[in-house]
Amino acid sequence: MMKKHLELDSVTKYYAGQQKQLHALHEVSFDIDHGEFVSIVGPSGCGKSTLLKIIAGLDSPSSGEVRVRGNPVHGPHSKISMVFQSFGLFPWRTVIENVEYGLEMRNVPREERREIASRHLDMVGLGGYDQMYPKQLSGGMKQRVGIARALAVDPEVVLMDEAFSAIDEVTAEVLREEVTSIHNHTGKTFVLVTHNLPEAIELADKVVVLSSRPAKVKRIFNVDLNRPRDRAHEVFIHMHRDILHLLKEELENSLLRHKLRGVKELSNLHDMEDHALEG
Amino acid sequence: MSVEKQKALTLSLTGRILPHQTVSNYLWVMVLALGFASWEVVARLRLLPSSNLPAFSSVLVIFLFSVQQPAFLLRIAHSFLNLLCGLILAFSVALPTAFVAGSKNPFDMTLTPLVMIFGALPDLSFLPLLVLWFGAGDTACVIMASVAAFFPIYFTVREGTKSIPRELYDVTAVFKSNKLSTFTKMVLPSISPHLFSGLRLAYDFDWEIIIAIEIATRVAGIGNFIEGKVSSGSLAQGFAAIMAIALLAVAVDKTFFGTLESWSKKWS
Repeated sequence: MMKKHLELDSVTKYYAGQQKQLHALHEVSFDIDHGEFVSIVGPSGCGKSTLLKIIAGLDSPSSGEVRVRGNPVHGPHSKISMVFQSFGLFPWRTVIENVEYGLEMRNVPREERREIASRHLDMVGLGGYDQMYPKQLSGGMKQRVGIARALAVDPEVVLMDEAFSAIDEVTAEVLREEVTSIHNHTGKTFVLVTHNLPEAIELADKVVVLSSRPAKVKRIFNVDLNRPRDRAHEVFIHMHRDILHLLKEELENSLLRHKLRGVKELSNLHDMEDHALEG
Repeated sequence: MSVEKQKALTLSLTGRILPHQTVSNYLWVMVLALGFASWEVVARLRLLPSSNLPAFSSVLVIFLFSVQQPAFLLRIAHSFLNLLCGLILAFSVALPTAFVAGSKNPFDMTLTPLVMIFGALPDLSFLPLLVLWFGAGDTACVIMASVAAFFPIYFTVREGTKSIPRELYDVTAVFKSNKLSTFTKMVLPSISPHLFSGLRLAYDFDWEIIIAIEIATRVAGIGNFIEGKVSSGSLAQGFAAIMAIALLAVAVDKTFFGTLESWSKKWS
């Protein structure tokens, strides 16, 4: 089996703004192996979610490319599924109908998709809730439905966009344990975007730290700790401290860049005033 | 009114205790019955001349007789069919237009101001032109009804489309939904509460428009029937026709729109 599952090769992204281009990602490159769990962290607004959308094929890079098993990603890929921050459930569909959605889009016969959806609902501990509507569920339960829906289509890669950030901490902790267990059992590749450092280290085999905008890969940490991971373990604490230090450094650099830009703009303004006076 | 008093009132009216919400649910029936009773008293005491206000009981008798007459029912069916055609025409134009306006900003910025200008005009001001172009008949009636129904459907569907969370589009894309599936399985259910409100408003507007046009242009519907009976002095028959329209309007509202609403209430 080919080792590299996902390859990000110099992924760069610009957005056209009203006045100037916004440089979101700058030559982001890293590889993800088969069955690996990778967390992506970075300062707020650095472009983590943009990167995840590019991997999902929901957005395209301005230059560079993402490859799955060596094939470039152009648009959504049948082997890639996603878990969304705000769950992304259809409120008019029952729990089981939501889980069936991806299978329905692949024209899986009704009986078969019902059986697959039921199995996945059981897996995330929601057996018996199949006829309920999303509004009747708690945040944690909604995200379980989101996870079941993502897994029901049997993807090779599961992308998670801040999947635990919209639920309370206790439920998030339980869900993280369940996701770890699903990862161990299924051997699928997981990519998690998060701003929660302990969560990133607890779940991942590899933590990719991005810089502030335009995001570049600042450093990649390999988490060589046995699961379940103890947050009080010395290695865990050191890694957390190191990543935090990197992010703080990034934040300070970013503020400095903003200040310098401000000074530059002020100086330009003075120049313009001088020219105007001379004129 | 306290809960105990409501329960006591329910007990006195029905002979059994019902949940107090039931009284509130049927309060409108009591108010309506009180209105009919007052009408009967005013007419019987001749507080208004009988040529201006026939007694409620007389109207009821004529109503019960009229609804058994095929000619009377055909008149109502004629008006209802015109209304339905207008509504379907408006729906088929307004739904795709409003969806595009709600999802494509440049289109919205071009089209919506124009729709607002036309929407601000009184609908019936177009009627003389329609009569001139299409004659005083069903065509003018249907077009006028569709013009009146267009605006509530357009604005509610546009608003509904704008309020669809971006994430739901991402969900459909991740699971490789095609454009038709995205529209039928995501967009339409998402906007359905807005669409139902728009259709309900359009339906109410259209009854007013249809009756007004039939009176003005003498199209052979129930509006024309009412006008004929009132001007010939058969006021009770006119009232009976109004009663029939009201009953039909309420029946459609409660059955068709009520069913749609209860479906959307289940999940929204």
